[in-house]
Amino acid sequence: MVLGNYKKAVAARSTDSGILSASQDGGIVTQLFAFALDEGIIDGAIVAGPGAEPWLPEPVVATTRAELLAARGTRYTISPNMALIKEATRSYGLDKVGIVGTPCQIQGLRKAQLYPLGMRDVPDKIALAIGIFCMENFPYQGLETMVEDHCNVKMESAVKMDIGKGKFSVYTERGALAQIPLKLTHKYEQPGCHVCLDYVSNLADVSTGSVGSPDGWSTVFVRTKVGDGVWAKALAAGCFETKPIEEVKPGLDLVTKLATEKITKNQKTVEARASFGLKADGSAKALRNPYL
Amino acid sequence: MSKVVEISPTTRHEGHTKLVLKVNDDGIIERGDWLSLTPVRGIEKLAIGKSMHQVPKISSRVCGICPIAHTLAGIEAMEASIGCEIPEDAYLLRIILQCANRLHSIALHNILSLPDMYLPGTDTKINPFTPEQPVRSVALRIQRIREIGQTVGEIAGGEAIHPSNPRVGGMYKNISPRAKAKIYDLAKEALPLARAQMDFMISVFKNWEERPMASVANGTEVEKNAKFGFHDQGYMASAPLYASTSLDVDPQWNPERWTEVRPWDWYMGEMEIDLEDASYPVGGTTKAGAKAWPQMEACTGVPLYDGAPVEVGPRARLAKYRDYDRKGAMGLQIARQMEFPDCLYAMMEAADALDTSGSVLADEIPCGDGTLGWCANEAPRGTDVHLAKVKDNKVQWYSLLVPTTWNFPTCSRALEGAPWQLAEVIVRAYDPCVSCATHMLVVDEEKKVVAQKLVQ
Amino acid sequence: MANKITVGHVHMSGCTGCLVSLADNYEGLFKILDDYADLVYALTLVDVRHVPEMDVALVEGSVCIQDETAVEEIRETRKKAKVVVALGGCASYGNITRFCRGGQWNQPQHESYLPIGDLIDVDVVLPGCPPGAQAIRNTCVMAYLLLRGTDEQKALAAAYLTPLMNLAKRGTEACGCDLMIDVINQGLCMGCGTCAASCPVRAISMAYGKPAIDRDMCIKCGACYAQCPRSFFNFDVINEFESITELIGAAMGQGGE
Ligand SMILES: Cc1cc2nc3c(=O)[nH]c(=O)nc-3n(C[C@H](O)[C@H](O)[C@H](O)COP(=O)(O)OP(=O)(O)OC[C@H]3O[C@@H](n4cnc5c(N)ncnc54)[C@H](O)[C@@H]3O)c2cc1C
Ligand code: SF4
Ligand code: SF4
Ligand code: SF4
Ligand code: SF4
Repeated sequence: MVLGNYKKAVAARSTDSGILSASQDGGIVTQLFAFALDEGIIDGAIVAGPGAEPWLPEPVVATTRAELLAARGTRYTISPNMALIKEATRSYGLDKVGIVGTPCQIQGLRKAQLYPLGMRDVPDKIALAIGIFCMENFPYQGLETMVEDHCNVKMESAVKMDIGKGKFSVYTERGALAQIPLKLTHKYEQPGCHVCLDYVSNLADVSTGSVGSPDGWSTVFVRTKVGDGVWAKALAAGCFETKPIEEVKPGLDLVTKLATEKITKNQKTVEARASFGLKADGSAKALRNPYL
Repeated sequence: MSKVVEISPTTRHEGHTKLVLKVNDDGIIERGDWLSLTPVRGIEKLAIGKSMHQVPKISSRVCGICPIAHTLAGIEAMEASIGCEIPEDAYLLRIILQCANRLHSIALHNILSLPDMYLPGTDTKINPFTPEQPVRSVALRIQRIREIGQTVGEIAGGEAIHPSNPRVGGMYKNISPRAKAKIYDLAKEALPLARAQMDFMISVFKNWEERPMASVANGTEVEKNAKFGFHDQGYMASAPLYASTSLDVDPQWNPERWTEVRPWDWYMGEMEIDLEDASYPVGGTTKAGAKAWPQMEACTGVPLYDGAPVEVGPRARLAKYRDYDRKGAMGLQIARQMEFPDCLYAMMEAADALDTSGSVLADEIPCGDGTLGWCANEAPRGTDVHLAKVKDNKVQWYSLLVPTTWNFPTCSRALEGAPWQLAEVIVRAYDPCVSCATHMLVVDEEKKVVAQKLVQ
Repeated sequence: MANKITVGHVHMSGCTGCLVSLADNYEGLFKILDDYADLVYALTLVDVRHVPEMDVALVEGSVCIQDETAVEEIRETRKKAKVVVALGGCASYGNITRFCRGGQWNQPQHESYLPIGDLIDVDVVLPGCPPGAQAIRNTCVMAYLLLRGTDEQKALAAAYLTPLMNLAKRGTEACGCDLMIDVINQGLCMGCGTCAASCPVRAISMAYGKPAIDRDMCIKCGACYAQCPRSFFNFDVINEFESITELIGAAMGQGGE
């Protein structure tokens, strides 16, 4: 169950070199949205567009391929994509909304669909929710410290950042690579991530990440009827090259391992919160548990 | 000997009201008081000291049926006070919103009015919720028209109920070209529906008017009077569709012509109820022996224009701008239907003119120096006047003269001569919105300040 | 259907926007009334003058405690309804009526407005100003399943309604500050932005991944906190979003495959 319900799991990458040139991994997110946009499956998608400062993402409603391309690549800091979920259906006039998000954002989305207290007319306008895998995220100033102080790279000159194989990596314009071990980054993690119990966007229509597949490829879970429909059409249209997940290395075992580690660790945090403080009678005083 | 009968609470309109009626031996109303019993939330008083940005959001919440009118009147009163002109495209978005709200509101009003009416050509009263045809098709058409109005409201206004997009200085966001096209398409779709609905409702109201008798819900037949729901008061309107403000070159409303009377001077004094009808639908009228005291109970003041009550709303607008004059309760209902198509033409026209890349926020938003500003917005049910004084971003003084307060005394006059059992039919024709009508009486000193400022 | 539940709309000091929101299920409103619920009381819509016995009371608005009729009516409602739902921010938390302070003619003594939960026990709250049309619809369908469904449906409906019942127990105060106090201060915020989208007065903006609340704009409707995925998140229900969405769709007579 740590990987959630899914109908299919595959390794895949986009067949479009224009997309792959600056996507994070196999270009799954950008490719799938571009296809859905062309086919009228979505009217637009909420993605993490460029922001006011280098590597600071700003959620945007992309309604063109160019806007989707401009948002490629992972920014390891918070892009509050859900902040636009209602506006997309309002001043943008979208009836079929696509959205990409981390597992927690997809959780917010599904809660909004089932309990739309402040989300009038949003629930039935969600046409495609793509989730990305996520171990943790960093506040902008945390990322800045990791990149500028630990890696000695100016934010402006970084062209790609990545987390994998126990390291945080920054690639520069001049082709240099700076790396630091992940344990140096833990301090800068967003505290809210420490109670997060989802690694692979269990509630998305389609979820994807790098872990499990070879470099340049992505691991893809197709989860819902909606996701299955879009994925099948995209495959038929030749959008993706795929390999059975059983045949790639390191495969689902690694995904399962990391997911289990994350959830186990964070479950402990949730439990520890129950006795974080102390009452006068010596019994435990709890921090709030969001999962009750 | 006249007798006193009380219907409390009245139904099928928004808010809490009651009718206290003095009737003659034939059951004809000699004098009627229609009064609001809705507790006074005191928006005008709670506004004092709050930010000029927040107050219109609060006044929006006096009414969920015409929240757009209250939002826009509130915002434009603030803008009038601080002297802020908004960009043209913001203005166009507000017009679209205004039309969207009026469209939904007329359609909703139809649902509230239909149960008093008959299916033309039959003796069947209309229950808008019955699954039977042809009523269900009409009801679904009403809902589709409302859906279109509310959807356009969402696009231009952020929310259909209590719009979030309007703000002092313009709007938070312009809309996308796709959204503009969507508004246009929705308006196109609504046009034939609204026309059909208008024709249907007019035939229903004319049919009712032509019947000599009308039945009350329990089956009792009552003879109608010839001048059902007539009154001799004047009309007041500030624009055919949208609004006038104190920033206008030629303002269409004049605070100097407005006076306010307290219920104590206007409504009837303490009386004992001595007519009761246990069969009056539903649950009978108030028991004989109980007391009624409209002067004390009324929750609204009585605004007068040129010293007399006036009618505001669809007929007032059509009378002032289109020479319409069909009197009586049904004349008003018919006028309301006649506003259906116009909402859509005006919506399309504004959408056409909108530049989706234009700025919708004023470059500069002054903080205000306490000058009086007002906006008279033509809400679905009539002129909604908000007056404000803003200083250093804060509201110093605020007053709301909402459509229903104007219509309360006029409607009370229109009750005279009608059989008391049909009083609620008149009330529903005039104005079904009551919660908004809880505004303060302005003391004379304030009145002088108003007049002085305007003379200067 | 003979087996319908009975529902009433009780109008206290609210603006009717919550009722309009229910009506904004458009065709769905008729589906609910045809198949699931008889509307036995609603001054705005039906000719019934006094609060009758009913299964579910949807109460809109707060209560002016200086108005005897209002106080009487809310007590009557509790006596006569099996389930009391606080419909919207005013009934749940006071909303704009939290700012009321009297002093206005013709009843200057009307100065104290209380959320209904301060006067009677409330079973379910639906925050928001107004709560979204589909949230009210879902609650109506779940209330029907709870009272008339099979055992399995009853269990689902109970699970769905539990967080809204817990919110009712949490208290009668709400504010944008709740995001600071009960989410960020508690180390739970992860910057999704859901709160900003849900605010009906645009009081919340996101800066560097955390909500910033403009307290001069907040009207205390409670939408942001209720909508935040870190206020409540019931895996047993939300993980089943696909089947529950289908179930509600089917109940509303919408196409399915
Ligand atoms: C904070 C974070 C942590 C991650 N952790 C892992 C991990 O542990 N293991 C793993 O396998 N994968 C992880 N990923 C996912 C991975 O980095 C890629 O985003 C994913 O594989 C998609 O790549 P792609 O080539 O298919 O997408 P692309 O075509 O490159 O598109 C990526 C999409 O993600 C959006 N995006 C970028 N940054 C953010 C953000 N901060 N928040 C929301 N959306 C954003 C972009 O707008 C774009 O639409 C993480 C991603 C993020 C943002
Ligand atoms: S770890 Fe969890 S909470 Fe943190 S960003 Fe990723 S999905 Fe969100
Ligand atoms: S919660 Fe909002 S919509 Fe509902 S009654 Fe209160 S002000 Fe009106
Ligand atoms: S911040 Fe907005 S959503 Fe939250 S309580 Fe205040 S008004 Fe409601
Ligand atoms: S909805 Fe909750 S978790 Fe998301 S940004 Fe707002 S406060 Fe943080």
